[in-house]
Amino acid sequence: AQQVGTAKALLDKDFVCTTCHDASSPKKIFSIYQTRHGNRADARAPGCMDCHGPSDKHIKDPGTGTDVVFTAKSKHLSAADDRNASCLKCHDSKVLPRTNWMGSQHQARGVACSDCHNIHVPDQKVMSKATQAEVCFTCHKAQRVQTRRISSHPLAVTGLGTTAKMSCSDCHNPHGATGPTLLVKNTVNETCSTCHAEKRGPFLWEHAPVVDSCVNCHTPHGSANAPLLKTRVPWLCQDCHSGDHGNQVNSAANLLGGNVTTVNGQQQLGAAAPRAQTGARACLNCHVLVHGSNHPAGAKFQR
Amino acid sequence: AHTAAAQTAQEATKPISAVEFGGTDVSDGAYKAGEYNGLQNKGGLGIGHFDLRGGAAYNDDSALRWRIKGADLGLDTRSLSGEVGAQGVFRFNFGFDQLRRNRSDSYQTPLQGAGSNVLTLPGGWQVPTIAGSTATNNVVNVLSARGLLTTIGTARYINTQTNSATFTGLLTPTAGQISSVSAASLTDVPAFQNYNLHTTRTKFDLAFDYSFDPRWGVSGEFRPEHKDGVKPMGTVSRNTGGDISTIIPDVVDTNTYQTDMRVNFRGAKGFAQAAYYGSIFKNNVPFMQWQNWATGPTATGAINFGTAVVNTMSSTPGNQFHQFSGSGGFNFSPTAKLVVNGSVARNTQNDSFLADSTTPVVPVSSLNGLVINQSFTVKFNARPAKKLSLTAGYKYDNRDNRTAVHVFQYSDAGEAPAANTSFVAGPSNPLGAVLAQNANANRAYSKKTNQANGEADFALSSRQWLKGSYEYERNNRDCYSSWISCADAAITNEHSLRAEYRATLSDDLTVRVGYTYSARRTPNYNENAFLALVPYTNVSPAAATGGATAYSVMVANGWTGWGPASGYAATTGNMNMFFPSNNALANAMYGNLNRISELPGMRRYYAADRNRDKIRTSATWQATDELSFQGNVDYNKDHYADAIYGLQDTNTWAANVEGMYAVATDLSLSVFYTYEDLTAGSAGNTYTANSNTATLTGALATTIGLSGNSCDGFTTLQQRNNNNKLDPCLNWFTDRIDKVNSAGVTLMGKEAWDTKLDLTGNFIVTRARSDNTVTGGNWANNLLMGPGAAPTTTAAYFIAASALPTVSTDTYELRLNGRYAVTKTQALHLAYTYMRMTSVDWMYEGMQFGSLSGILPSNEQPFNYSVHVFGVSYVLSF
Repeated sequence: AQQVGTAKALLDKDFVCTTCHDASSPKKIFSIYQTRHGNRADARAPGCMDCHGPSDKHIKDPGTGTDVVFTAKSKHLSAADDRNASCLKCHDSKVLPRTNWMGSQHQARGVACSDCHNIHVPDQKVMSKATQAEVCFTCHKAQRVQTRRISSHPLAVTGLGTTAKMSCSDCHNPHGATGPTLLVKNTVNETCSTCHAEKRGPFLWEHAPVVDSCVNCHTPHGSANAPLLKTRVPWLCQDCHSGDHGNQVNSAANLLGGNVTTVNGQQQLGAAAPRAQTGARACLNCHVLVHGSNHPAGAKFQR
Repeated sequence: AHTAAAQTAQEATKPISAVEFGGTDVSDGAYKAGEYNGLQNKGGLGIGHFDLRGGAAYNDDSALRWRIKGADLGLDTRSLSGEVGAQGVFRFNFGFDQLRRNRSDSYQTPLQGAGSNVLTLPGGWQVPTIAGSTATNNVVNVLSARGLLTTIGTARYINTQTNSATFTGLLTPTAGQISSVSAASLTDVPAFQNYNLHTTRTKFDLAFDYSFDPRWGVSGEFRPEHKDGVKPMGTVSRNTGGDISTIIPDVVDTNTYQTDMRVNFRGAKGFAQAAYYGSIFKNNVPFMQWQNWATGPTATGAINFGTAVVNTMSSTPGNQFHQFSGSGGFNFSPTAKLVVNGSVARNTQNDSFLADSTTPVVPVSSLNGLVINQSFTVKFNARPAKKLSLTAGYKYDNRDNRTAVHVFQYSDAGEAPAANTSFVAGPSNPLGAVLAQNANANRAYSKKTNQANGEADFALSSRQWLKGSYEYERNNRDCYSSWISCADAAITNEHSLRAEYRATLSDDLTVRVGYTYSARRTPNYNENAFLALVPYTNVSPAAATGGATAYSVMVANGWTGWGPASGYAATTGNMNMFFPSNNALANAMYGNLNRISELPGMRRYYAADRNRDKIRTSATWQATDELSFQGNVDYNKDHYADAIYGLQDTNTWAANVEGMYAVATDLSLSVFYTYEDLTAGSAGNTYTANSNTATLTGALATTIGLSGNSCDGFTTLQQRNNNNKLDPCLNWFTDRIDKVNSAGVTLMGKEAWDTKLDLTGNFIVTRARSDNTVTGGNWANNLLMGPGAAPTTTAAYFIAASALPTVSTDTYELRLNGRYAVTKTQALHLAYTYMRMTSVDWMYEGMQFGSLSGILPSNEQPFNYSVHVFGVSYVLSF
């Protein structure tokens, strides 16, 4: 894509615009030259009018908008489809193709590329791990607060505020995907296994809901019930298991000082303990390998 | 002026490099506060960031540029990345990222060797006991971890020796009993030492991208990752006749290697890619081994060191996943596009099994596990008219588990194997004798999904859109080579309808309302799917007549493993053998130590019939140029209508409101509040076997009353015993409710108040409350019923379930960052963070000394911290 003279030729084209929109503009227009889109030695890099359109009217009357306006608060803001069309001229198939964009959840809900991307600045918020979630949380409010729960993935910026150790795009592809909920892989489990490969198996003893989908039990953005569980054990287990000791009722009566330990106030504390399934790690005190076991004695996920 | 403009242009277009270094002080050490941010320890830490950029200028004919970036270099969360490339021709990237996750700084264990995979009890360890009695001896010491707290271990206890003159009386421990309890406590308690639990993930990343020409290119990435550290893990042992648990420090030492390779074709009308993705996981920890704290002499407090039984837990096996995929998109016209994606993957695992004396029958030495994953999607998108968009799609996913099935025999949790006399070797037993308590066949779960959908989006006007969609999903589940279907739901069908309205009602107001209804149905829910685990259900036991098997009896009578349910009736013949006392299918009759069938009417929620309602609403209002508001309300309801037991309903709703105000050109303020409410309701039943037992020791049950129940009308013990399986009092129901309030304020100012100060401030508070209401209960026999008890003595009490204490977590975080520009290229960065958490959780009660009988305390504490972090650093830009 590099050709001698490319830069000058492209800059000359830009000059129509940069005559007025020069470096002194309060908007950060010139900083695009620090970005990939402004790398004028790359013949594929777009000029101003490749994205904003020839904008003849605007050139004649600066009070009117360009053919395609991306500024979110502008009264001339173009429709999402029109803004996207500018980007897709290159990104549909030729440069960093976003093949699955059309028909994706974001496209179908009127999201425009420029709602998340600001291609004029060298460090786009959405492209940085530390700030990407801020952009996604502009719409995804529930997920913003879920990352602040006692159990969460490291999505929230905490501490000194310099780094988040995960970004939304580690799991989701906002440009469209083959997986559910825009996941980067074909299935939930394939996606989770990119980091949690130890839970992929196959195991000798598989746990049916685990191989079915991780989100049968987990809620990945954050939970009040560690570790990222939809609900607390033992009840999460009892939602599916009613056999053997799984059928027992677990309540405050089973806790230290509860009614079960002091039947009619006459049974001494030393003689009876709270129910193990209600205390500490509940079912996971013993059945810990719920993601699968490879031990010949592990059918009950105890080994 | 021309020179000045050129200079400004040069500044605006020249990439800025920066170096930042300084120091920070953390006021208090708190693992949870520093869970993912590297600030877990009290004291000073270095601040170090850099971002160096270089290469050709924007107006140069060379597209070569490079960048190296480092962040948090002084913390355990440091990262480093870099790239160099000639845009459009090649690019090379590298990366390094470290993530420390803190798990607990209050965990304690007496086990020595934490950090390795062999854990031993300290020399002199004594088995903890409490003073108590048995049916034959009313002055003994009974195994119990509760005795580590001597006030518990030496408390008065009930005399349970049935031939004692003071049976059911309260006894004061003897000096010998007290001595034994105290000796163990004195020896063992000091042996509990803190061991901080954390894991560290270290990732490397090497990537390249090369374009042969504008159309053809290759790219690849290699990502090795190492994870090490220690996390808590529950373990169970059964050497003492009962289950005891130990939370051990589980060693993590794994490597994962991921590789991506792609060949791309980029055309004017289409794109195609062929790709390979590989992921190889290796575990360097072969097993975890620990000494059982509960084995050895208990009566005298004799030193147990050297006599403790060693238990072994398997570690996660290594596995491999190799996937080849292809994808392509083609634009038939500017308004019609077809996209196709397909992949096939091979997922294998073949680590050697751990076998020992508790596993007398292990037919193969390793699994040789094989799963073939296939995926295919096709999507067609068209815009036949300017106002109308159409999308149609089809998706196929298949996890085809082709792992062979074998029958493994073992005893649970380290117990000595004991042969099952019902299944001996012989011509009528093709599977061979059962030599241990459990004879289980592995189940290789497979799942196939077919999904089709269609969507239409119609523009009612230039500012209003209406969308409608329909989706059909069919899931097939089965097990390769299983003797009987393993799937609760071999088939599920789900239909979903969605409608959405979007509108820009005015220049300032946009709204969106959407509703989705889904109905999932399982044509034939299989309550006997559990039999796939227990193939001896299909073998005739020695005592059966007519060659009957448990399975044949069940099928003939239309029962599930739970057995007949029409009230108590004495059973005879094969029925009595397989379903004694009208109980569930007898465990020994299918070669399993535990009862594994479910209650009739139990529906596992992930495969059960389900109706789902989803509502999504949102509105954005730009009140003035400076002031805007955003709000949304989401509601989800899942209802499992056919589930008599198990999960019944989940309801979630969340509301958010947010306001943003531009105080000045370079100063903005935003405030939000979010409320989320999640409720899940489940039902169960604590049934036990029906019984014709008429007496409770010491008195006739037929004349002795019950106390506390109000729902079944039973007045005598015998009535209760006869109907234990159908007693409506034993139904229980829970409602788990999580309510979370979150609010935040963000202030951002650039050159605020016309100064050289850039300021950002965030304050976020989260208050989470989890409640669990429980109704129902269970019976408990009166331990004070005994010989000579008055005829009016209550035989059994109904212990009503009661709501769990509220679990609460409050978190506060205030983060202030100020950056003062000393000169154009130098700045001083000041940072202050306050982090606070208060949490109350009853779960931790069971981890303390004196709490649970069979679980060795780990003394972990709920998270509570209050931490101030100050940072100062110097920033140089160039």
